[in-house]
Formats: sequence, C-alpha cells, structure tokens
Amino acid sequence: MSINVLIVDDSSVMRAMILKTLRMTGLPLGETYQAANGQEGLDALEQHWIDLAIVDINMPVMNGEEMIDHIRENLEMKDLPVLVISTEGSKTRIERLQHKGAKFIQKPFSPEIIRDTVKGITGIGANDE
Amino acid sequence: MNEKLNDILSRVAVESLEKLAFIFSFPEEDNGDMDYDSAAAAGVSFTGPFSGSLIITISRQVLVELTSNMLGVNDGQETTPDQQEDALKETINIICGNLLPFIAGEQAVFNIDTPEIIAGADAIKNAVTDSDGRKPASSVKLDIDDEQCALFLFGDIQVVGGLVE
Ligand SMILES: [Mg+2]
Repeated sequence: MSINVLIVDDSSVMRAMILKTLRMTGLPLGETYQAANGQEGLDALEQHWIDLAIVDINMPVMNGEEMIDHIRENLEMKDLPVLVISTEGSKTRIERLQHKGAKFIQKPFSPEIIRDTVKGITGIGANDE
Repeated sequence: MNEKLNDILSRVAVESLEKLAFIFSFPEEDNGDMDYDSAAAAGVSFTGPFSGSLIITISRQVLVELTSNMLGVNDGQETTPDQQEDALKETINIICGNLLPFIAGEQAVFNIDTPEIIAGADAIKNAVTDSDGRKPASSVKLDIDDEQCALFLFGDIQVVGGLVE
C-alpha cells in the first residue's frame, strides 16, 4: 500500500525539501501533489484521492489554519490526516491546531521527525526496521 | 537587555541556518557595514503582543549555497534566481517564527506576514541603516566562511519574560 500526499506551502523550495525528505524516509509514497496556499490545497483535495495533507500555516490567499477548518467541516474530507509543518512557535496556536486533529512539526525539521510522525499518522511502515 | 536580545537573535539565526541548510555561522563583533552591492536581502513583518519586522542581508555567494543545500542539489548544479529568492524568504520566515517565542514567551500569538525580497543595494541600505527615529532593537552579524550575513530586528520589542537563558 502506498500513500498519496498533498504538500501545501507557499515556498516552492520548502515543498521540494519536504518532498525530498519524504522520499528519503523510505515511506511508500504514491502520487504527490503540491499547492501554494490553502485554497489551492482544497482544490487539489477535491480533485485527487489524498491520504495525507502536509500543510504550512503562514500562506497568502488562505492560511493553513483556515484550510484545516474547511477540511474538518467537509463531510468527505473531515477525517483526512493532517500534518502541519510550520515556523509557528506559539504554544497557544499549536494546541489549537492539535485540537483540530492536526499533528505539528516546527521548521526547521529533521528527516527523522518527519519519518516518525508520518509513520505514526498513517500507521504505514511501522515494521520496516 | 539589548545585549540579551542580540544574543537570542544570533543564537536563533545560527541554529536555524544550521538545521535548515547545513550553513555553519559564527557571531561576529565587527560593526562595519556590509557590502550591500553583493548582498541579497529579505524582510518579514509581524504583529502580535508587539509588532515589528525582521530583516536578513546575506552575501549572494552564501545564498547560492543555502539554496542548493535546501534543495539538496549537487555541487555545480545551478539554482535559479527565483529559487534563491524563495529560499531567502523562507529562511527569514523560519528565523522569525523561531525567534518570537524566545522574546515574548511560548504562549504569545503572532501573525507573521508573507516575507518580501528587498531588491537593490540602496533599498537594502535604507531598510537596515539607522535613520531619524528608526533604529533596530537588535542587530547581529554572522560570519559564514568569511562571507557575511546580518540580521536586524525592528519594532517596539518588549521582552515579556520569555527570554530563555
Ligand atoms: Mg509559509
């Protein structure tokens, strides 16, 4: 089984870094999609089957928190696993995101934390090592 | 307190550059101006318990290396000017996001704007040089293999017991 991943971040360099890191971790990646803001991310979710959304917070047009609110209000996507990868350092806001069912990793990140967190969320690859 | 703020700013910047892009830097005492003709710069504004902006200036040579390392491209493989600008904007975004909790405490909530490139030596100089009533609350210089990088924190910065020793 492989997982289809959507990466939403306004920095194309950061999207490439996250994708490269996901590939390095040996997780079974299926299709990967990219979006530059929350609105584009929601559009991609409408169009494709996605198993995991990786979402930045600070983005123009629609930020990551609003995007997550839309996901949780939508009957078809409300249970989608969401991983926030952001520079956000405020505990108050991180806890708010966790209440919305998102996992959180702060930038800059290590490959190991991405691997372990994605494994934890998807339950995939847990017996690989 | 200014010294403490400088210390926090340089520590967060050094750590972010290392973790983000394997760029190793060291705080520098020298107070001379940087050569802005060969520098790139980006800034980001924030609002919250206090408001302000953070600006980074960095030698173009280091920026090329930073971008290559972030993208994981091989030596000699070129990155585009767009990628370099994107990398610099994301770098200042990350330094800013990591810096604010150290100053304002972990509970404080800030809104960080979209980072912007500051283009041209004159614009960079204007953005970072002291002028009437405008002086950075903190500024630090970093040495990266004899190349320079500097950070300037502007605003009505209030330390709210968030400083971690
Ligand atoms: Mg962003």
